[in-house]
Amino acid sequence: MSHFRFVFVVFCFTAVLIAAVYLRSINNRLFYQLCLCNAERDQLKQDLGTKQLRLESLINPASLSERVAPTENDE
Amino acid sequence: MKNARITIIFLLLLIGSFLTLAGRCFYLQFCKADYYLHAAASQQAFTSRRPQRGAILDSRGRMLAASNKIQIIKAEPRIIDDPKEISSQLAPIIDVGAHEICKLIVDRRDSGYVRIKVDADPCECTLAGRIHRGIGIESDWQRHYPTGPLVANIVGFTDPYGRGLEGIELKYNTELSGSPARNVFFADVRRRPICPKAQEGVLTNGVGIILTIDATIQQFVRDELMKRYQEYEAESAVAIVAEPKTGAILAMVSIPDFDPANRNCDPNNFRSRALTDWYEPGSILKPFSVAIALDAGAIGKNDIIFCENGHYSGRGFGSIGEYRRGFGNLSIAEILIHSSNIGMAKIGQKLGKEKLYEGLTLFGFGERTGIELPGEVSGLLRSPDTWDGYSITRIPWGHEICVTGIQLIQAFSILANGGRLVQPFLVRAIVDQDGQIKELKRPPPPVGYIIKPEVAEWLVNEAMTRVINEGTGKRAKLDKWQVFGKSGTANIARSDARGYSERDYMASFMAGAPADDPAIVVLVSIRKPNLSLGKSYTGGVVSSPVVAKIIERTLTYLGVE
Repeated sequence: MSHFRFVFVVFCFTAVLIAAVYLRSINNRLFYQLCLCNAERDQLKQDLGTKQLRLESLINPASLSERVAPTENDE
Repeated sequence: MKNARITIIFLLLLIGSFLTLAGRCFYLQFCKADYYLHAAASQQAFTSRRPQRGAILDSRGRMLAASNKIQIIKAEPRIIDDPKEISSQLAPIIDVGAHEICKLIVDRRDSGYVRIKVDADPCECTLAGRIHRGIGIESDWQRHYPTGPLVANIVGFTDPYGRGLEGIELKYNTELSGSPARNVFFADVRRRPICPKAQEGVLTNGVGIILTIDATIQQFVRDELMKRYQEYEAESAVAIVAEPKTGAILAMVSIPDFDPANRNCDPNNFRSRALTDWYEPGSILKPFSVAIALDAGAIGKNDIIFCENGHYSGRGFGSIGEYRRGFGNLSIAEILIHSSNIGMAKIGQKLGKEKLYEGLTLFGFGERTGIELPGEVSGLLRSPDTWDGYSITRIPWGHEICVTGIQLIQAFSILANGGRLVQPFLVRAIVDQDGQIKELKRPPPPVGYIIKPEVAEWLVNEAMTRVINEGTGKRAKLDKWQVFGKSGTANIARSDARGYSERDYMASFMAGAPADDPAIVVLVSIRKPNLSLGKSYTGGVVSSPVVAKIIERTLTYLGVE
C-alpha cells in the first residue's frame, strides 16, 4: 500500500512538473506570437502612414497645381 | 541530560545565527543604504518612448503636417573594434558606401551613438542588426509636410527632436507633443536590459489640430500672388482671405516663403508677414475713417466737401496734395471713389482726434487680434495726446499709423459683417487620435456693433461698390459678382533719413464679394514693386487684379452664386 502511495505521489509530482513546463512553453510561444503580431501591426501602421503621406503629397492642391500648370501652358 | 545540553547549544547557535542575520540586515539597511541605493540605480536601463506628434489638418481634412515612424540604423563607435570590416559588411545591405559608413564611425570614435541610415526599410534593419552588437536599430518619429511651402508660414516646423519652432507647431507645441513615457529595466553589468521593472509616465500621443485654412484656396492665393510678386520683382507680398461673418481665415500667404523640408534659406522667410510686419496702409484705411466719421455724426452721407483743387495747406498741418489730379467739390462717396487725401484730411479735422482714435481702436488697430500664431505685433497707433495737426490730417488716409495685414482684414470684415465685431481665428478644432473632436476652438460669436449697420451697409453697397465700378478698383470688377473694395498706395518711410522714399511703395488692395451678402474678404499687399521696370506701383494696378482673380477662383470653388 505504502509502495503504491509512493508511486502515486511521484507520478503526480512528475505530472505537475510536466504540466508546468508545458504551460510555460505555451505561454512563451503565445507571448512570442503576440510580440510578432504587435511588431507586424506596427510595421503595417508605419507602411500605412508612409503611403498616406505619399498620397497626400501627390493629391494636395499645390502638387496638383504644379502638374496641371504645364498642361495649361501647352494648350 | 546530554539531550538537554545539545538542545541548549542548538538553540544558542540558532539565536546567534538570527542575531548575526539581524545585525547584517541593520548594517545593510542603515549603514550601507546609500551605497546600495546607488548600486541599484546604476543597475537600471531606460528606454524612452516618444509619443506620436499630432497631425495638423486643413479645414477639409487634408494633411498639412504629420509624423510617421521611421527606422534608424545606428552604430556605437566605442564598441566597434574594426570599423573597416563592419563598414564593408554593412555597405551592401544598406546601399551606402563603405567609406562613408567608416568615416561616420571613425569621426565619432569616442561617441556612443552615430546615425548610419535614417528611414531604413525592415529588411535592411533585420540584416544590419545581425552584423555586430555595435550596430543597432531604433525607431523614431519623422515630421512630414506634404504640402511643402504652401502653408509653411502658418504651420511652421519642428526641430529634429520634435519640438515646434515656428507657426502652429510652436504655438500648440504642448498639445501636439503629447506626453512621453520611460520604460525602466533591471540591467546587467553592461547595462543590457534583463527584465522590465517599471514604467515612468503614461505614453499619450499628441492631439490633432484642424485649421480654418483651406489648402485649395491657399493654393489659388499663393499662385496668383506669386505670379504678381515675380512680375513686379517685389520685396515681399502678403495675401489673406477670410470669412467676414465668422472671422475664419481661409488662406494666408506670405511671400517669400520656404520649404519646411529644406530650410536652408533666409530665416526672415519663416515668419508670417501678415502678422509680424507692420506698415503704413495708405488709402486702404480711408473707408474706416469715413465709417467712424459717419457713425459719430461728424459728417453725413450726402455732405459735400471742397477738396481745394488739389492743394490744401494751413498752419499746423503743412501741405497736402492728391495723387494725380486735384478735385473740387466731392461727395463722401466720391472722396472714396477718387481716393482724395484732402477730402479725408478735412473729414479728420471734422471728426477730431479723440473720436478718430477711439474709432480706430474699436476697429482693432493698435492692438493684437489674438490670432493663434506666434509673433503677432500690435502695429502703431499713438495716443491722441501725442497727435499734432499733421496727425489728424494724415491718419484718416493711412499715414502716421502702422497696421498689420491681419488687423486690416479684421477691420474690413467688421465693415462687411454689417458693423458687427469679428474676431479672426485660425484653429477650428482640436481632435484626438481617432478623429473625435475634443475641443472646438471657434471664438464665441462677438456681441455688439462697432459702427451702425446702416453705415456699414452704405459703405459696402454704395461707396466701396462704386470704387470698383467707377474708381481706382476698376481692375477688380467681376461680371458674375458685385465686388466692393478700396485700393491703397503708401509711400514707405525711409530707414536712413527723415521722410518718405519716392521709390518705395506699398501697393495694397482690399475687397470682398458678393456685395449684398459678403462671403469672403481679401487683402493683398505687395511691398516695394520694382519701379525700374517702368510699370505702375499703385494698389489699384498692382494688387487689384490679384484680388479679382482670388475672389473669382474662391467664389467659384465655394459655389457662391
